[in-house]
Amino acid sequence: MRRVLQVIGIILVIGFVVLQFFQPGKNSGPPSGDDLFAARQVPDDVQQILRNSCYDCHSNQTRYLWYHRISPVSWMVNHHIEEGKHELNLSEWGRLDLYDQITILEEMAQEAKRKTMPLKSYLIMHPDAKLNAQQIETIEKWSSDLGEELLKKGAK
Amino acid sequence: MKQKSLFLGLMMGFTSLSVWAVGTENPTKPQAGSMPDNVSTIIEQRCFGCHNTDSKNDKAKEDLDFKTFDGLSTMKKMSSYNKIAEVLEKQEMPPQKFLEKFPDKNVTDEERTVLLEWAKNEAATLIKGN
Repeated sequence: MRRVLQVIGIILVIGFVVLQFFQPGKNSGPPSGDDLFAARQVPDDVQQILRNSCYDCHSNQTRYLWYHRISPVSWMVNHHIEEGKHELNLSEWGRLDLYDQITILEEMAQEAKRKTMPLKSYLIMHPDAKLNAQQIETIEKWSSDLGEELLKKGAK
Repeated sequence: MKQKSLFLGLMMGFTSLSVWAVGTENPTKPQAGSMPDNVSTIIEQRCFGCHNTDSKNDKAKEDLDFKTFDGLSTMKKMSSYNKIAEVLEKQEMPPQKFLEKFPDKNVTDEERTVLLEWAKNEAATLIKGN
């Protein structure tokens, strides 16, 4: 019995080591001119909030933590990032039309207000990404001001 | 005697309150900008059940409420029209789970086309005519 457990243990360790040779690509693309912060003048306080609470999953620039390099965690994180970018990739902001930019701004404010973003699963490992009341207000004001500005731009 | 007049007073108060309440009752039909009859009929049949203030589906009414639509800001209206067009194009509405229960309640291709054209036009009018 003890021998069987030893064999299983060895197989698991070897499997874990082998798994480390298979890693997903990193989400760290070069800075793009289409990125929200390059395409528009975004106030520093808003930039800081977005970078800290949104950009890990909604841009091409994820800040990885040490354990994100360990498989299978790396694959799970990669899956979350792909899902997040599929919904919204702020590194591709400049490629969106006015309709989608305004809609996204409205959705960002709404998700922040409803506290549905950042996701709870993300907040467990990134507690400092949780938005406080003042940050939510900042995002709401910025998104509504920029939305109105873009509406006016559309009218020209 | 005193009790009788108190009762009468209460009754009168209650009656006038009821009249006032009826007068301010929420609209029972979808209201969204300039909505032609054919569009409002489709929305009433296919969408309004979940997307109205009194709906039990909290997520649906939070996302889109046809009863209070007219009171939204231009930005929110435009976003709503844009999202309506998007979910129709991607065939995400009515939701799959709902259709599994009520397969006959799906939007027909013709209805989808009417709604899509309407939503896109309204969004464009709000952007260009703002």
